[in-house]
Amino acid sequence: MKKPILPLTYTFCLLLVGVLLAATPANPGYQVGDTATDFKLKNVDGKMVSMADYKDAKGFIVTFTCNTCPYSVAYEDRIIALHNKYAPKGYPVIAINPNSVTVSPRDSYADMQRRAKDKKFPFAYLQDKTQDITKAYGATRTPHLYIVQKQKDGKLKVAYIGTIDDNSHEPAQVQKKYAEAALDELVANKTVSQPNTKAIGCTIKWREA
Amino acid sequence: MKPIHILCTAFILTLAGFAAQAQDVNVVKFDKLQQLRNSDSDTLYVVNFWATWCGPCIKEMPYFEAVNKQYQNQPVRVILVSMDAKKDLEKVKTFMQRRNIASDVWLLDETDANTWIDKLEPKWSGAIPATILFNNKREQYYFVEKELKQDELQNLVLKFKP
Repeated sequence: MKKPILPLTYTFCLLLVGVLLAATPANPGYQVGDTATDFKLKNVDGKMVSMADYKDAKGFIVTFTCNTCPYSVAYEDRIIALHNKYAPKGYPVIAINPNSVTVSPRDSYADMQRRAKDKKFPFAYLQDKTQDITKAYGATRTPHLYIVQKQKDGKLKVAYIGTIDDNSHEPAQVQKKYAEAALDELVANKTVSQPNTKAIGCTIKWREA
Repeated sequence: MKPIHILCTAFILTLAGFAAQAQDVNVVKFDKLQQLRNSDSDTLYVVNFWATWCGPCIKEMPYFEAVNKQYQNQPVRVILVSMDAKKDLEKVKTFMQRRNIASDVWLLDETDANTWIDKLEPKWSGAIPATILFNNKREQYYFVEKELKQDELQNLVLKFKP
C-alpha cells in the first residue's frame, strides 16, 4: 500500500512545478537592487570585452544603444560626455548594440565600427548578437541605461535604470540630468534618490523567431 | 466657355481633394491626453503612440487607418499621438498629408516623458510603437508595447467595440 505514494507525490510535485513555471511571466529583466550579470561581447576593435576586464572600475554605465534610432543618435554626444566625465571617477560607459542585424541591417558590426570611428567613441561599443544580455537586463528601448555598482564581494548591483536626461530633442534645454544625478550620488557613496526614470525611445529590434 | 468649365471642375476637384485630405495636427499637453484617458463616453478609444522617425510605427499605421475608416459610423475613435518634437510639427503635417491620414493626429508637446508615462501606463517602458485601447464606460482596458499585426489590431477592436 505504501509504494504508490512516492511516485504519486513525485507526480504531484512535477505537476506543481509545471503549473508554477507556466504561471511565471517571462523574465522582465533587472530591477534596481538586482545583481547584474557580466558579459563577454565583441567590441568594435575586434576584442571581447567583459566588465571583469576593468579592474579599477567602481561600476559601469551599461548603455543599450544603436546606430539607427534617432534618439540614440541624438544622445551620442551626451553618452560620450557622460563617459568623459565619469570614467575618471570610476564609472565608464559600456555601450551595447542590442539590435538584430537581420531586422535592422544598419546596425551591422561593420556599421557599428564605422559609427564608433566617425564619432570617436571613447568607450567600448559591443554587439549583443544573441540578444541574451539584452534580455537578461530587460532592456526594451534604445537608449536604455543600466548603471551598476561594484560591491565589496565583487557583485554588480543595479543602481539605476532609465534615461540620460529630460530632453532628448534639445540638449541645450535639458533641466534634469537624471543619469548624472544618479552617478554623482554613487560616486559620493550615497543611495540613488531617483533610481528609475523613463523616456520615449525606439523598440529593440528583436530577432524573428 | 470651355476653359472656364475645365477650370471650375479643376477647382472643385481640388477643393474636394483638400476636404478628403489629412486632418490637421493637434498639438496637446499631457493633461489633454489624461482627459481623454478618463473620458466616460461609451466609445472605444484606440490610442497609438508613434513618431515620423519610427519605422515599426509607420509600418502599422495603415492598420489604424483601416480601423478608423471601417468603424467611422460606430463609437470607435482612433487617435494617433505623435512623439515627434514640437519643432518638427511641419514634418508631421507633411507626413500626414502625403499619406492622407484621416485619423485624428495629436502631437504631444512634452519633453520629459518621465513626468507622464507612469501616469498613463506604468507598464510602458517608453518604447514606441505602443497602443492603448479603452472604453471606461465598460471598464475595458488593454495596453501593448510592440508593433501590432493587422489581424491583432482587428481582433482587439472586434473584442472591445461597443
